[in-house]
Amino acid sequence: MFKKLTAIFMSTVLTATLLAGCGSTPNPGSSGSGGASAATAFKVGMVTDSGSIDDKSFNQGTWEGVQKAGKDLGLETKYLKPTGTTEADYLKEIGNLHDAGYKFIVTPGFKFSTAIYQAQDKYQDSKFVIIDASPADKNGKESIKPNTVAIFFAEHESGFLAGVATALQLKEGDVGFIGGMEIPPVQRYNWGFQQGIKYANANFGTKITIKPENVVYQGTFTEIAAGQQLAAHMYDSGVKAIFAAAGSVGLGTINEAKARAKAGKEAWVIGVDVDQYNEGIYDGTKSIILTSAMKKIDTAAYDMVKAEKDGKFEGGKAITFDSKNNGIGIPDKNPNLSSDVTTKVAEVLKKIQAGEIKVSGERGDLIK
Amino acid sequence: MKLQFGKGSFKNVAVALLAIVFGLLAGAVLITLTGSDPLAGYAYLFKGGLMSLERFGDTLATSTPLILSGLSVAFAFKTGLFNIGAAGQMLMGGFCATAVGLTLDLPSVMILPLAIMASIVGGAVWAFIPGILKARFNVHEVVSTIMMNWIGYWVVYYAVPGYFKGEFLETESRAIPDAASLKVGWLSQLFNGSFINLGLFLAIAAVVLIAFILNKTVIGYELKAVGYNRFAAEYAGINVNRNIVLSMMIAGALAGLGGATLYIGNASNIQIGVLPAQGFDGIAVALLGANSPWGSLLAALFFGLLYSGKGFMNAMIQIPPEIADTIIATIIYFAATSVLIERLLKRLRSRKRGQ
Repeated sequence: MFKKLTAIFMSTVLTATLLAGCGSTPNPGSSGSGGASAATAFKVGMVTDSGSIDDKSFNQGTWEGVQKAGKDLGLETKYLKPTGTTEADYLKEIGNLHDAGYKFIVTPGFKFSTAIYQAQDKYQDSKFVIIDASPADKNGKESIKPNTVAIFFAEHESGFLAGVATALQLKEGDVGFIGGMEIPPVQRYNWGFQQGIKYANANFGTKITIKPENVVYQGTFTEIAAGQQLAAHMYDSGVKAIFAAAGSVGLGTINEAKARAKAGKEAWVIGVDVDQYNEGIYDGTKSIILTSAMKKIDTAAYDMVKAEKDGKFEGGKAITFDSKNNGIGIPDKNPNLSSDVTTKVAEVLKKIQAGEIKVSGERGDLIK
Repeated sequence: MKLQFGKGSFKNVAVALLAIVFGLLAGAVLITLTGSDPLAGYAYLFKGGLMSLERFGDTLATSTPLILSGLSVAFAFKTGLFNIGAAGQMLMGGFCATAVGLTLDLPSVMILPLAIMASIVGGAVWAFIPGILKARFNVHEVVSTIMMNWIGYWVVYYAVPGYFKGEFLETESRAIPDAASLKVGWLSQLFNGSFINLGLFLAIAAVVLIAFILNKTVIGYELKAVGYNRFAAEYAGINVNRNIVLSMMIAGALAGLGGATLYIGNASNIQIGVLPAQGFDGIAVALLGANSPWGSLLAALFFGLLYSGKGFMNAMIQIPPEIADTIIATIIYFAATSVLIERLLKRLRSRKRGQ
């Protein structure tokens, strides 16, 4: 037994040293030591949340912003995908980025809050951007250090605009909501959407209803099949349009709507986070995406990198992107909305910006 | 070349090492295809796992749940059972440990043993059900353990937000108090702030214990006999059904303990909506480790090193993370196909003889 152990151990060590030895040859492809060149030259890293980099929403939006900034400003960019979703997994990848010279690190998602809380102290020579949450210790005590910026979005305002647009376009009938996990950003989309419908019913004479059984949180951001099933059930029960704020679950919803639209039935989806119009294209030119409730994650990520480049990084602050700074909204082009609807929605947006309409980020007496 | 293996154990080691070499070669091909230098890549991989005390500690900690899940699968294999449910058993074990940690307000010396016991019981119960189904109704354990995985997944999904909801994160439980964590100050300090914890010692103790049970006790002999030939064992007067249930429970207990090392050791809370990947990796660990306790330990350390170093390799060479994942998966896949390599060796040997 002991012999066997030593044998394995020795050969492992041998292999390791062998490989480590070979690696000492210089590797021109990666990582220059950039530090001396200029204070403005830095490398931008990103750690992804659960889900893939092409999730058509959160990770993708952040990465696109980071990439664009990298291209425009001539910075090296890189993302890493953690093996799990625990704090230790996140911290490990943050450490890897840091050790590889990526000292400006963007992390999308509320799940990073405890990891960033520790990282901002541990790596004081690095800067951090956390989206959708503040750094907080495990008891929920928030603290944003001078090397960190926390970014929030007013999802409820975005959902509100999408709700108004939906109501105006469809005029009457049932609509539904499918959420991913029941977490604040998703909930705010839902609450805003319901308020938007109510507002349109009260002010524009539309007759749109949301039944409580048609407001559902699937519970994950990954189960495509479940999204399709839930959507099928809702459409069968007479729902005309579904607001899907659910990552890949929403992609399932889109698939179901496409299948129905191809068969000539009415089925709409309101997209989320990014303009999902292209996801909903069927028969070449038509799309089942009525409009999308966007939060401009890419713009936010881009702005933060640019601010750092210009020496205007607002460390220690929480920044909210809402209707006032055009951080949220529906897309500029909505081929499925009539021009009358888009003008009315634009007016509503102006009223929100002016503070004449207050959209609540709380549940109040809304459904779920 | 003369290949001759007198003892089974030596052959196993050779097979495992060859499997690893093939895995690394296959990974090297992939790295080359992406336009990077495989030697530099592997150097970063190993540096990422070993280059500082903190990283070495992280590697050991990453390996810890793998040691136990690998041990769990390997143990069940010995009795001829294929435990695919290690993930669910880990989840339930981790859930029970977290529940104890969040419910009881006791000093460390009392709460830790309780939490660990809870994880062992939780995992054992989760494996007892497939065990009894197999023994009484001949329901195949592959099917029932997979189903138990999903039952566990949804139990946790329901119970955590219901009873242990985090104050600001709905998808996670509250964080356990420091007293109930396997992380201890002196160990973290020793490894410069790594997340290494007492779980490693639990895992090693489990390896020693299981090796002892399998090789030196009557129970171990009976379990193995059932695994080699169920009917012969029955004919010899061994209670096969009892041994099947017992084997599943011990396997579950090990995975449950692995869950404790994962959720109250490496992490400090439990998350809903994820089955721990370590449970499934346990199968690969057991295969590479030739289903022996010590083999599982070493295989888990190797996998831990791969997982731990992956991110650094990824950060240093120009490849997308998906390719890095593929490379690691390739290495693991090849490493786990030791059966094929065994056949290859056999063929080489017989050809030699034929000449």
